[in-house]
Amino acid sequence: MTADSEFKRRTVLKAGSTAVTATFVATRTATPAAAAQTESSVDITLRVNGHDHRLAVEPRVTLLDALRERLDLTGTKKGCDRGECGACTVLADGRRIKSCLTLAVMRQNTEITTIEGLARGDRLHPLQEAFIRRDALQCGGCTPGQIMSGVACISEGHTRSADEIREWMSGNLCRCACYPNIVAAIQDAAK
Amino acid sequence: MTVGQPVERVDGRAKVTGAARYAADRTLPGMLYCHLVMGTIARGRVTAVDTTAARAVPGVVEVFTHENAPRLTSEQHFMPLQGNQIHYNGQIVAITVATTLEQAQEAAELVRVTYAPETPKAVIADALAEVYLPANQEVIVGDPAAGLAAAEVTVKQNYSSPPHHHNPIEPHATVAQWDGDRLTVHETTQGVVNAQRTFATAFAIPQTNVRVLAPYLGGGFGCKSPVWPHSLLNAAIARQLGRPAKMVLARSQMYSIVSHRAEFWQQLTLGAKRDGTLTALVHVSTQQLSRTSENMYSHSISSRMLYACPNIHTRQQGVRLDVPTSRFMRSPQMASHFGLETALDELSYELGVDPVELRRRNYTDVNPTTGERFSSRFLLECYNLGADAFGWSRRNPKPGSTKDGHEFVGWGMATEAHDHSASPSSAMVRMAADGTVLSQTATQDIGTGTYTVFTQVVAEALGVPLNQVKVELADTNFPAAALSAGSGTIASVTGAVNAAASAVRTAVVQLAVSNPASPLHGLPAEQIITQHGYLFSPDRSRRESYRAVMARHGSPVQNTSTMTNARGYSTGAVFVEVRVDPRYGRVRVTRGVGAYDAGRVMNRKTARSQMIGGFTWGIGNALMEHTVLDRRTARVVNPNLSTYLLAVNADVPDIQAIFVDKPDPVSTALGARGFGETPITGVPAAIGNAIFHATGRRIRDLPFTQDKLLRELLTQ
Repeated sequence: MTADSEFKRRTVLKAGSTAVTATFVATRTATPAAAAQTESSVDITLRVNGHDHRLAVEPRVTLLDALRERLDLTGTKKGCDRGECGACTVLADGRRIKSCLTLAVMRQNTEITTIEGLARGDRLHPLQEAFIRRDALQCGGCTPGQIMSGVACISEGHTRSADEIREWMSGNLCRCACYPNIVAAIQDAAK
Repeated sequence: MTVGQPVERVDGRAKVTGAARYAADRTLPGMLYCHLVMGTIARGRVTAVDTTAARAVPGVVEVFTHENAPRLTSEQHFMPLQGNQIHYNGQIVAITVATTLEQAQEAAELVRVTYAPETPKAVIADALAEVYLPANQEVIVGDPAAGLAAAEVTVKQNYSSPPHHHNPIEPHATVAQWDGDRLTVHETTQGVVNAQRTFATAFAIPQTNVRVLAPYLGGGFGCKSPVWPHSLLNAAIARQLGRPAKMVLARSQMYSIVSHRAEFWQQLTLGAKRDGTLTALVHVSTQQLSRTSENMYSHSISSRMLYACPNIHTRQQGVRLDVPTSRFMRSPQMASHFGLETALDELSYELGVDPVELRRRNYTDVNPTTGERFSSRFLLECYNLGADAFGWSRRNPKPGSTKDGHEFVGWGMATEAHDHSASPSSAMVRMAADGTVLSQTATQDIGTGTYTVFTQVVAEALGVPLNQVKVELADTNFPAAALSAGSGTIASVTGAVNAAASAVRTAVVQLAVSNPASPLHGLPAEQIITQHGYLFSPDRSRRESYRAVMARHGSPVQNTSTMTNARGYSTGAVFVEVRVDPRYGRVRVTRGVGAYDAGRVMNRKTARSQMIGGFTWGIGNALMEHTVLDRRTARVVNPNLSTYLLAVNADVPDIQAIFVDKPDPVSTALGARGFGETPITGVPAAIGNAIFHATGRRIRDLPFTQDKLLRELLTQ
């Protein structure tokens, strides 16, 4: 087994535990964009937070815009739309990706986890709890991305020191600048 | 007592689960997407706009240019699309409207604009002959010339700083919906009341016809204080097309139409006696203004309010350039403060006086410009607390005296100071028949902790648990309250919230003592103790819960109060350690300590976070943040987050925040003062001073990037 596949297996196993149910959600037409199909639209199924969503999107629609404007999953934020700020971070098969840099049509057969899928009912994920306890958020604009990135940072094992966390969390910008509190929250949740 | 405690954010759960709905998260049935087309010249006019290709994109409903855009007036700003004149690069020249975001974006790419361009001027250096003094921008106290003549030591130096862009992580977003002549807007705004007025003026409709909501805001830092023209245009398009409309700015668009911190040049002249006492302070600055506005925001307040000096002269000049209008950005006084606090450090070396001691010797309890005594000022305590926590007494003042491996280690400090605004505000508090409490006020929580602090204030005034109180903000249906800018939210609105809650308490106590069915019947109302959701007799032998009193009463008890507060001035002292690698000119900040007098601290947890945020902004301003304008085209060449560098997690060390925490006796906000902008102000100077201590090299132009430091290190 290569190091890479081992890495993948571990992250998949950890993230998989957050999404085990297999309920099916009918095609959403909640948003005007979801209703607006054009000739170039294709039918796809996205598996998000354990639910399958059928939707028709043009191939150019990013995963981020599919989540936000079609599926009304607006917890994932758009900060820059070009992979620079990290606000749109989600987990794809357990690995953190920037959802603005991938197309929805490319992410079929992928287990997507967004911020809405992290808590189990009323019980918050330990990192969500730690963010509140450590005041690792202010305006909340970057927070969903920080938490998704932090969950992956922990599952990757990049939490051996505060400096290692700082380095591996530097792809997520926080303009209110809660960085030391974010590091503390990740340290708490990694224990 | 809950006020002052490190209470966790009450909006934390909504924000960590993705449940908090921001303006851009709103989708409405039948909604259209608007996307902006930005001009590519800085000066001249539009001669033609070809929208044929754009209109041919499937899903496109309309394309607006200056020829067919709705006619509007903006009360504050130059309104684009009303004519063909271009005043800055990145001005709105067209708007596409489509059924989906992608269609609107594609169409925007296909709009062809032809211009008659003129040569623009983008930077102060290119327009020195056009520097002028706008009205009311000069203050002279005493006799500065005589003060300089009497000086035994003089420091005279020039300092400069670049334009900055606010860059909240949440881009500006606006969603507008009309119902007849009534307008509802979900707006990324730091002030729903101001926004309501701006929309009403633009459409010539009564203010009460406009509802603006902003329950969550993903950062503002000043650039979401006014309603910018794009929001008015979006609402006008929604009205004209008869459908709700949404517009979210692309990150790059935020570098031309939502303001910036102006490029700033300054000259400081300090005259002092040998013992360090200042005899004169002359501060002449020049800031970049636009063709359409001469509002100035980088004020030299620090030079006029911070130190004892009998002879002060501040002169704030401007120069009009072909750039967008600048405005306030978190800590607008930071730019001038950087010059003052660096000049003081230079003076300390001239005199051989420790930098902290030099500031102590020029401490004042009295505003040196007006002669009025400050209502409270504990800056000397801040110097002591900060210096002790940092270990400042162990500092060897000789530059270049500490080396660790390849790296030079330096310690620097600066005073921190910023004033805060205060405006009359109202708040409503209502206790329902079930004893739960709701407070509503039309101010905002832009991430600073307003929801949490007001929950604490209401809970404490009534004597009920925190979880019995719900606070709702940022809806113009609520009582009018302050803009969340100028560090003014807590200072402005706390008093009204407290007064309304206290009035409700008084009314409920009266209900209890006046009713024979209550165990407290007949007791003097003023002796009743309220705590933990109960009303107690003075000896605590008898009690009744709020819930029981309210259930018997059977209907809500409500009060709306209005309060004013005075502006104030929060100060502090910041100490930093840097490590400089002389091989690369690389600077890292490795330690930070700040001690502050912000009046009473309302919530230790959120106040500490404000300080950490401010310190981090200071690191960014010192080491990396700068907007680069191309001098030929007056265009921002780094309009994105991969080239406009902000401090990231790895740039920020452990930071210690210390608060004196003594109430300001004149503050109606339970003794609190505004604080959010203070803890950035001194950090750039402190870092520059630490770099000088580490290396003996002084850089006077922000930011202290590697190229500048390396050049200094390689010469001599």
